[in-house]
Amino acid sequence: MSLESYLIEMLKVLVFPGFIFIFILALFYEWFDRKFYAKLQNRVGPLYAGPFGILQPLADLIKLLSKEDIVPKGVDRMLFTAAPLFSLTLSIFATLLLPIFSYKGILSFEGDLVITVVLLTFLCIITFFAGIASYNRFAIIGAERSFLQLIGYEIPLMISVVSVALNAHSLSIQNIVLSQKNMWYILGPNILGFIVFLFAAQAELERIPFDLPEAEQEIIAGWNIDYSGRRLAMFRLAKNIELVFLCGLAATLFLGGPLGPVVPGYEAIFFTIYFIIKSIFVLAILTIVRALFARLRIDQIVSFSWKYLLPLAIIQFLIVRLIV
Amino acid sequence: MEISITFGYHTVFDCEVDRVMSMLSELLKNLFKKRATVLYPEEKDKVHVPEGYRGKLEFYREKCIGCTLCYQVCPSYTIEIITDEKGKRPVFNLARCTYCGQCEDICPTKSIHLTKQFEIISLDKKDLVVK
Amino acid sequence: MSTFDIPIGPQHPALPEPLLLKLEVEGESVVGVDFDVSYMHRGIEKLLETKTYFQGLPLVERICGICNAAHGLCYTLNVEKLYDKEIPSRAQYLRVVVEELSRIHSHLLWLGVAAFEIGFNTMFMYTWRDREHVMDMLEAITGNRVTTEYSQIGGVRRDISPELAEKLLKTMDVVEERTKYYIKVALTEPTIAKRTQGVGYLSPEDAKATCSVGPVIRASGIKFDVRADDPYAAHDEIPFNVITYDSCDVFGRIIVRAQELLECVNMIRYALKNLPSGPFRIKLPMKPNAGEALTRVEAPRGELLHYTLCEGTPKPYRYKVRTPTLANLGALRAMLTSKGRYVVNIGDVPIIYGSIDPCICCTARVQFIDVKKGKAWTWTLDEIRNMSKKVKA
Ligand code: SF4
Ligand code: SF4
Repeated sequence: MSLESYLIEMLKVLVFPGFIFIFILALFYEWFDRKFYAKLQNRVGPLYAGPFGILQPLADLIKLLSKEDIVPKGVDRMLFTAAPLFSLTLSIFATLLLPIFSYKGILSFEGDLVITVVLLTFLCIITFFAGIASYNRFAIIGAERSFLQLIGYEIPLMISVVSVALNAHSLSIQNIVLSQKNMWYILGPNILGFIVFLFAAQAELERIPFDLPEAEQEIIAGWNIDYSGRRLAMFRLAKNIELVFLCGLAATLFLGGPLGPVVPGYEAIFFTIYFIIKSIFVLAILTIVRALFARLRIDQIVSFSWKYLLPLAIIQFLIVRLIV
Repeated sequence: MEISITFGYHTVFDCEVDRVMSMLSELLKNLFKKRATVLYPEEKDKVHVPEGYRGKLEFYREKCIGCTLCYQVCPSYTIEIITDEKGKRPVFNLARCTYCGQCEDICPTKSIHLTKQFEIISLDKKDLVVK
Repeated sequence: MSTFDIPIGPQHPALPEPLLLKLEVEGESVVGVDFDVSYMHRGIEKLLETKTYFQGLPLVERICGICNAAHGLCYTLNVEKLYDKEIPSRAQYLRVVVEELSRIHSHLLWLGVAAFEIGFNTMFMYTWRDREHVMDMLEAITGNRVTTEYSQIGGVRRDISPELAEKLLKTMDVVEERTKYYIKVALTEPTIAKRTQGVGYLSPEDAKATCSVGPVIRASGIKFDVRADDPYAAHDEIPFNVITYDSCDVFGRIIVRAQELLECVNMIRYALKNLPSGPFRIKLPMKPNAGEALTRVEAPRGELLHYTLCEGTPKPYRYKVRTPTLANLGALRAMLTSKGRYVVNIGDVPIIYGSIDPCICCTARVQFIDVKKGKAWTWTLDEIRNMSKKVKA
């Protein structure tokens, strides 16, 4: 590999569409989520930091980073330090698989779709360990809940992803994107899968109605009750990056990813814009869902998943099976 | 509207779509409504204070006859009666005042009036004494 | 399966009241509950003894910020009983107007809090936004948003002008429309139904046995409302329905409160339409006659009870307040205890606790502590009675 191409690869990973771009996107998505949520509720939302409060997530992050680093007595020190780091790295790693500025992500190989799903599960497992590490009653309950929730939404999520892969005859994200050249899957046979995916994403992100692991009213902050300062900042950032990742994945799998009409020669710019627009559309739906429902109870979540999401996902699978 | 999928006697899936509709339509309506929040320190003119609001009190020395009735009804010992050249008169320490308005109600000569001003905070205790 | 304790409160983000709920948990379900309300002693009853009856009114209103109108009304009605004077009926009507207005604001506030407890933030924002209309009206009529101090000994503070009455009627239209919408949402929204139906079950027998009051007992299907059973102010002339619901759960309490809002709206409309003319206040002397008085008022949270003993001086010899939350605590224990097929999850605790509309600050009662021996205890009613006999003898 020549030095030049090496540098370009490096820039891709570090700046665009790698770490820095993802970082900015994550903060922007958090702002959009909060502002849109506030709008739906007839409130103002973030306001003072930057125009329309767009810098508020950054300000929050900096504030958290500058806080005192507290490790409570009796926590499992190693796990307590490792969990936020792992959660941040894994979520950043996941976003590298997203096709943002071309048909494929920075990392792309045959079967990368499988990795994305595995990463999602890993993120949830890290949540569990983060809760267990702090040995707090509320945190343990939160950790338990995050696992119970995983049991609920994991399988429908996988089936809905698999039916997309089946449709595209491929397990690589690149091929899935390319196969949507003529028709996005959401317009085609995969609309049910899209709905299932959205609900599962909501659960993965621990947002209302599935925000049980950190339900404020019940178990205060749940699994992250003992985390503060830097560690909490990392968790928050990881959650936001996960938000970008899941919205992007939904856009990739169902809305044709970065595809759209382009001016030849400027594909990268157009693709990025299309990708952002589509994933923000998904984010808007997720936010509406967040504003629309009350929190469910843990038994209700599991039964909701098995009663509604799973049948939907299976029907989706059967439809695709019949067509293909 | 109800979507349900049934195999024989077993309902596998049923979902009433319009149950969420009442909330959803309200949400979308609110998207285009003006925000309900009043950004208080910036939009002071939007704060509507009605007539008869019980705010910072004013005292008119020339009307007061020194009957000390206000002193007797004040629940929080806001009022201190002192004697000046014209005779007895009240002095109000607003830091203790509960803005109940009993002094205004009882005063026979209407020397006390609770104004519409509600921004009473001060860094100096002396500003809170109404003479 | 092993159990462990979870403390909820006295400081908890969702329950901003100084109450400690000690939950014994087995996995996700609650198997035991114990609570402690004595985190806040304000000495209001003692303080009232140092003030004249006229000075006491603003203090009484501060027992509870949200049902301040009910406390003020109860206090004034109670003190007026010591005077033997007819209070002008215009004042009585106006009292009902403000009382019902404050009930609307309290119930809307509660709806928001209940929504918040089940994580329904949007509903919380909406109800509190709409409550602002009512707060603005309270401010315009009485001069303040929260501590209204409208009902005074001998009448009410000010009259209501025709323009203001007109405006109030318009606000009532808004409130009615919004309330109907909330009832629709509560009845149809799937997640609300899921989180509240069959939760916090209180059977009518338990409701009676634990002497619960207010919307809690009415949601268990028992018609008990002081406004109807022992009318005060102008409630004997203003018609209304006692709302009951027989589902005995949190859902029922939501519906009862929401429907009561509509009743309040109608009562205000009726009162304004049939407002008698005449004076709105009479002057009463500082010194009431010697005697005892006891008054019950239906506060938004339930039956409120004030008692006073007067020895013919301007200051009370004794003043006693029994707030509705105290009466409902027994019911709370019944609701929070899992029994048989009825299981309480940790997730249900906030909404069950919230469903009695708790106001612990006005509830804490005496506990006796012997500092030297390090012992704490409480006395039962009989013991206190025996003790007073001993003192007399
Ligand atoms: S408003 Fe009330 S507290 Fe303030 S001075 Fe007058 S009587 Fe005293
Ligand atoms: S009641 Fe009025 S007239 Fe009497 S002392 Fe007070 S301010 Fe003066």
